[in-house]
Amino acid sequence: MLKIYDFFAHAKSESLWMAHFCTGCCSLEMAAAMGPRYDWERYGYLPTPTPRQADLLIITGLVTKKMLPALLRTYAQMPEPKYVLALGACSFDGGPYNDSLAVIKNPTEILPADIFVAGCPPRPEAIIAGLEEIKKKMKKGIPSAASQGGLWKEMEF
Amino acid sequence: MLKIKEILQEFNTEYIEDYKTTWVKAKIKDATDIAVVAQRLKKNGLRTIATISPTDFIDENKIEMNYFFEDLITKRNCWLKCDIPRELEQCKIESLTPFFKGANWHEREAFSMFGVKFINHPDLRPIIVSQDFYDKTPFRKDFDWDAHEADTLKNIQTIVDAFKDEEDENDKGIGEDSSETVLNWGPTHPASGPIRLKVHCDGEDVIGIDPDIGFVWRALEHLVTKKDFIGAIVAVERLCFMDNINSMVGYVQAVEEIADVEITEFAKWMRVLLGEVSRISSHAMGMGGFYNALGLHTVAMWNMDIREFFLDFLESYSGARIATAAIEPGGVRYGLQENMLKELQLGLDKFDNTKEDIKAIFINNPTMKMRASKQGIISPDMVEDYSLCGVVARSSGVKVDVRIDEPYAAYDQVKMDYVVQKDGSAKDRLVNLFEELEQSIDIIKQAKKHIEVGIASGKFNPTKDHMVKVPKKLPKGEAISRVEWSRGEVLMHLVTQEKATSPYRLKMKAPSFNHTMMLDKLLAGQTLSDIPLIFGSLYICQGDLDR
Repeated sequence: MLKIYDFFAHAKSESLWMAHFCTGCCSLEMAAAMGPRYDWERYGYLPTPTPRQADLLIITGLVTKKMLPALLRTYAQMPEPKYVLALGACSFDGGPYNDSLAVIKNPTEILPADIFVAGCPPRPEAIIAGLEEIKKKMKKGIPSAASQGGLWKEMEF
Repeated sequence: MLKIKEILQEFNTEYIEDYKTTWVKAKIKDATDIAVVAQRLKKNGLRTIATISPTDFIDENKIEMNYFFEDLITKRNCWLKCDIPRELEQCKIESLTPFFKGANWHEREAFSMFGVKFINHPDLRPIIVSQDFYDKTPFRKDFDWDAHEADTLKNIQTIVDAFKDEEDENDKGIGEDSSETVLNWGPTHPASGPIRLKVHCDGEDVIGIDPDIGFVWRALEHLVTKKDFIGAIVAVERLCFMDNINSMVGYVQAVEEIADVEITEFAKWMRVLLGEVSRISSHAMGMGGFYNALGLHTVAMWNMDIREFFLDFLESYSGARIATAAIEPGGVRYGLQENMLKELQLGLDKFDNTKEDIKAIFINNPTMKMRASKQGIISPDMVEDYSLCGVVARSSGVKVDVRIDEPYAAYDQVKMDYVVQKDGSAKDRLVNLFEELEQSIDIIKQAKKHIEVGIASGKFNPTKDHMVKVPKKLPKGEAISRVEWSRGEVLMHLVTQEKATSPYRLKMKAPSFNHTMMLDKLLAGQTLSDIPLIFGSLYICQGDLDR
């Protein structure tokens, strides 16, 4: 028997809208994933200009100190349930900018991500595969990582 | 050239010498002379200042200032140096902003990174750096950034506090007698990347714009000093991912000049080929960006389709679609296989099949012409004053193109001409972008033919000729290298120390920095709806804006 909540979770996951938010260079491959060859709208993804309609926040690569408050504000404005996808090596450990003094080495310690997509930058197929993983998580009703913890809860932004 | 030398001889100089084909390099002994020298040079036609690059020589206890003056019309350039004391209190020099408007942000950058104070600068605020670096000097050699890194969370709090203070200030203007307020356009507006424009507006009318930049400041110029000469290309190519090949070419040319290495003819042609492929992938996105700002996404889709074919070529050549790291000191990283050129041919065919449609529908589009042909007009005088370059300069009718003015790689053998427009409006910049796309396709065809003929005749060995050895340790020296990047001229100033394994200082002058400076001039007096249009037409990338 299909429960009504399962149906809701299914419906939510199949029209996944993401906040149109670029923090770094992986957004270029995100644009390619939107493009005609990969065309992620086939899977029901759509970038939306306002976070208030979004289900998903994508950390597109590096996050600088200056960008972090804006990222957290965007996340806070999104309605529940909300998930976070982290792209690229930068969002995991700073990647090629690990030695740099302006980039946050571990943005996902502050805002935990549900799925990491590896690469510098990850290929469009990989991004779509990562989004599919988010869908699975939503269908199972697993709460997002950021709602479970992370430094962002103690921070003021 | 003689005239420049004559002028410089009037002052107290350490040396005056010729450098490359178009440069005069000189060092003046007395730093207080700089404003007078600059004014004399300006009268002589060197109206443009490309950039200002301080170098911190901690052992000699001095900061060396480098000024790069350019004459866009007669192509004579001057590289001027002078020393100033390193102590923060005495680290001062006369500002050039009163005479050279384009120096404004470059001086602010030198102030934020090195703590150089510019006397008589009208608006000496920190730029690029986040609030936690205010009153600090992050690019000086003795800056203890481990200590700075230790309290990251506290630093983030500083940024948040500063932002909240600003919010309170923004509302102050609103009252019964005024409706003046500040709007935030960004940090991530869908039509832009990570940039925040503080739009001072009264109702719908824009009074002025104060761009707040540095949202993707990765301190690349600092990052390269921690890597070796080959490792540094990873940082250099991330100047902007849209056109990464040409930025690498600029850097490796400077390394090769210091190492005194001459690369093979085949590698030179490969640099032309790869560079133009990269330029196409960038211009295609640029055209899409312009129309996205107008609200039409079809162009971006069509162009992205073309772009994918060229990325396929880069992928089969280097293994990566975007982060290719394909140019290395000594040549190009990989040899060339025959099937790669076949893949390139697919891209060329795709463009040839689509270009007439793009031209008919989007370039000669009457709606776009009505909207954009009277907006954001940049005159040739403004180009010289604000040191604009690339597409923006050429669409105003100024004939600048480093590929022709100071040919590098194999561009001296390529048949090409300046692509220029007349009026310098937003529409002209779009048209120019498209015509440059066509030009790039033409150059690729020439380079491809040349390489194919060379391989067939046995002149090139495509699997061995791509690389010559460059020593791991470089001698003491410095070099500048200019390349025509997709957005305009990139000037790399590289300094090395004795037996160096990593760069001592690398300054990257990138075009978007100057173009963003123009936003305030172009948008004051316009309405809010013109912001995306003019922003989109200036072809700005935040990667090279912040570095």
